[in-house]
Amino acid sequence: MIAFWVVAGVLSAACAGVILSSSARAASRAGAADPTTALYRRQLREIDDLADRGLIPEAERTTTHAEAARRLLSAAEGQGQAWSADTAVRKPILVVAALTPLLALGAYFGVGSPGLPDQPFKDRVAIWRDADPASLAPQEMAVVLQTLIKERGGDVEAYGYLAQAEMASENPAGAARALRRAIELDPKRADLWEGLGEVLMIEAEGEVTPQAERAFQEALKRDPTSVNARFHLARGLIADGDQQAGLAAWRALVADLPAPDPRRAAVQSAIAQAEGQPAPAAGPALGGQLGAVQGMVASLAARLEDNPDDPEGWVRLVRSYAVLGDQANRDATLAKARAKYAANPDVLKDLDLAAKTEPMR
Amino acid sequence: MIVEIGSFSLALALALSLAQAVLAGVARMRRSEVLAGAGQGAALGAFACLLIAFAALMYAFVTSDFSVSNVAANSHTAKPLLYRVAGTWGSHEGSMLLWCLALTGCGAAVAGVGRNLPAGLKTLTISVQGVLGILFLAYTVFASNPFVRLAQPPVEGRSLNPLLQDPALAFHPPMLYLGYVGMSVVFSFAVAALIEGRVDAAWARWVRPWTLGAWSALTVGITLGAFWAYYELGWGGWWFWDPVENASFMPWLIATALLHSAIVTEKRGALSGWTVFLALAAFTFSMLGAFLVRSGVLTSVHAFAVDPTRGVLLLAILGVTAGSAFALFAWRAPLLKQGGVFAPISRESALVLNNIFLAAATATVLLGTLYPLMREAATGEAISVGPPFFNLTFTPLMAALAILLPAGPLLAWKRGDLRGVMQRLWVAAVIAVACGLAAFAFISPRKAFSSVGVAMGAWLVIGSLVEIAERTRVFRISIGESWRRLIGLPRGAWGMTLAHLGLGVFVLGACFETGWKQEAAEALPVGGRLNLGAYHLILDDVRGIEGPNYDAERGQLRAFKGDKQICAPAPERRLYPTGGQTTSEVAICTLGISHLYVVLGERRPAEGAPVWLVRAYWNPWALLIFIGPGIMALGGVISLSDRRLRLAAGRKAEAAA
Repeated sequence: MIAFWVVAGVLSAACAGVILSSSARAASRAGAADPTTALYRRQLREIDDLADRGLIPEAERTTTHAEAARRLLSAAEGQGQAWSADTAVRKPILVVAALTPLLALGAYFGVGSPGLPDQPFKDRVAIWRDADPASLAPQEMAVVLQTLIKERGGDVEAYGYLAQAEMASENPAGAARALRRAIELDPKRADLWEGLGEVLMIEAEGEVTPQAERAFQEALKRDPTSVNARFHLARGLIADGDQQAGLAAWRALVADLPAPDPRRAAVQSAIAQAEGQPAPAAGPALGGQLGAVQGMVASLAARLEDNPDDPEGWVRLVRSYAVLGDQANRDATLAKARAKYAANPDVLKDLDLAAKTEPMR
Repeated sequence: MIVEIGSFSLALALALSLAQAVLAGVARMRRSEVLAGAGQGAALGAFACLLIAFAALMYAFVTSDFSVSNVAANSHTAKPLLYRVAGTWGSHEGSMLLWCLALTGCGAAVAGVGRNLPAGLKTLTISVQGVLGILFLAYTVFASNPFVRLAQPPVEGRSLNPLLQDPALAFHPPMLYLGYVGMSVVFSFAVAALIEGRVDAAWARWVRPWTLGAWSALTVGITLGAFWAYYELGWGGWWFWDPVENASFMPWLIATALLHSAIVTEKRGALSGWTVFLALAAFTFSMLGAFLVRSGVLTSVHAFAVDPTRGVLLLAILGVTAGSAFALFAWRAPLLKQGGVFAPISRESALVLNNIFLAAATATVLLGTLYPLMREAATGEAISVGPPFFNLTFTPLMAALAILLPAGPLLAWKRGDLRGVMQRLWVAAVIAVACGLAAFAFISPRKAFSSVGVAMGAWLVIGSLVEIAERTRVFRISIGESWRRLIGLPRGAWGMTLAHLGLGVFVLGACFETGWKQEAAEALPVGGRLNLGAYHLILDDVRGIEGPNYDAERGQLRAFKGDKQICAPAPERRLYPTGGQTTSEVAICTLGISHLYVVLGERRPAEGAPVWLVRAYWNPWALLIFIGPGIMALGGVISLSDRRLRLAAGRKAEAAA
């Protein structure tokens, strides 16, 4: 703040100084001849010069020379009274030089934000990095993760987190980029391909684009049981007009899902909708923008049921429920995971942080 | 702190402009050198403050300080550095700051380098420039302030329109503004001369370098804009008679007329009233352009969508400035001394004809630009005036001008010898007609109008060469003597010849490109072939790539003439996720002076393999469209260097005497 006023003061003084010194220099230059006659003399010399070099005809030299000479004469006669170098006007100049910064200050107070410091992006990132991650908005989290990845190089998990943060900050394009990086590092992981397919689909406002379709196919190649990949590929078939094949794929999916799986009801509901029947009450919806995220979360939950020894997976699941605003599942998962990792304070801390993540909408 | 220093500097520049206007104005009334010096100091100070403000805004853009509302609205951290820098002038507020920087820069230049100007003219010019500074700076500070801060800055910025993220467009606005605002000095000189009651040969000479500088910058600025439209918009064209293009073209036409009429005033002391009128009109058209682009009355690719309130304020500035200047003109112009007389056949008459055609052309462009707006305001009916109108009105005027042009420089001042000129130009005329006939006979398909255009272009180019040959009397005197004359030619003469030659080169390019352009478009799968006249293209591959702030599909093609591969164009279709815009990155293969222009369109749903819409154009001689104005601008700069050198030499000679 003080630095600002010092600089503003120096600037004001410098400007006043320029006005005063320039007026002082002008006083010493006073009495200089009117340059008009000099200019006409030069014009006369130019005419002669051009004519001497044969660049204008002799007749033109005569007429233009005569005209320029007439102008010279009339300019010499018309030389007005010289300008005065009277320094008595210095006092009003001083007043103007002093008033100018005051006027500027008045205008600045009207439009400026005195005391508001600069906030370069780098400084803000540094603050977010030092802050409690739980206090960060998803977009801030994404920026911090990007910075960390840039500095330390990213591993698959880091890119996975980045993708989640990007999704939570409604930036599916950023999430897709992060997932592509993760896939470059570990192309064998089906969940990454599945996630990529889903964010590409969200980016295309729910449409299963050729790129999304390819990502789902890659996921299925690596994990033929991938529920979301199968679901959306079938949805793509229906959208392309092949309702029969799509419905058959969905029915096969229902047959493969165990009865207690909540996604079963979601698929059944989608089948009913596609057939134009009233949809039965469904569990977590599959399909649509939010549905894609929910599908991703459901597949993670299912994976953890099968393979519960995955602390990062639990943290991700808690954060995902928090992002979706699904408080009941968030709290239930948190309690379950806390009980499982009661002896591991690091994981507990991560779990608590994840639970505090801001919901997506 | 730096941003706030910028904000304070901007306010200080406003106060200094006020001091400049008052001190210089009073200095003229009291004929006081001391007050005049103080006014000049204020002009220098205002420019210095604007430099600081501009640097501060650029700093905010480079460091992505989103607490500055303008940065948040027009930048993004993922944007490459060049476009973060260019973002400084990419928005309405930032470009107003650039406008003010150029305006105060011009004022400071008059104060700093105008030592050979009479005290009265110089002081009044600085005062008027100060008044312009007050108006535009007050508008910027209070209605378009680029330093407005946000208490809660967003995490990311909203980025600059991706169409504007382009090297040509990064430099297009600064050049254009230098041209627009350069006209402000000419305007101030004209107002000062009207107040002084003195518009004579000397005044014309003082004004000419400023006009030349502004005209050259405007030429480069408009050409960069046309070049950008050509390769960035992906429509295959380079000039669309879009109102925003017209807004920059009208000041250029007027400035061109002014350059020519100022020569008559300078050499013969004649046409002084008309020259002053053009000097006032040139900046008025620049301000009109600024109003049209920023008021929201136009919707265009490169118009700033700004709210009408700010547009009304700009209109008020335009009204006050132009209104008072033309009122002053109406009052004082009848008192101006009339200069030398001239015969109907003379260099002066040729330049008057040039002015009539240019003024009429400006009037048609103005009508074509404003008529849709007026009609919409009156009847609510939206119409668009496009190329057919301009082809029917503007083109014949320019054609008439082009026919007369080579004769002008060969005519003597005061009384010319038309028969002599015709004798000197008949060879050029025969060659030009032969070129036109050859184009009509040998280029398929046959196009009469384009062939006439080719003859016209050839006439201008050969006419310019004849003019140089006449000056050097080549083949009539010894080669050594001709060479001596050639290198002794004043730079002003070279400048004129180059400007006329450049126009001819441009006409040739424009006629070939519009007349014999070929176009083909087809949805191609990978491996597909697109035929385009004598050429064909094969789409080898389309793959996704990631740019710094965009995702793209890049097509890899091979272009063949017969069996021979001539180039490998790689056009892109880019998607900028921030803002969700899609742009085309055209691939241009330059083959001699012609272009093979390839655009990758959207992926189309198709059974089996995916297909992409590929459009290709064969644009013959298209390069000349941009080289021509480049030669014209070079002519302006060369002419400018001549003046400066000769004035400096004159001063040295006087000092020695």
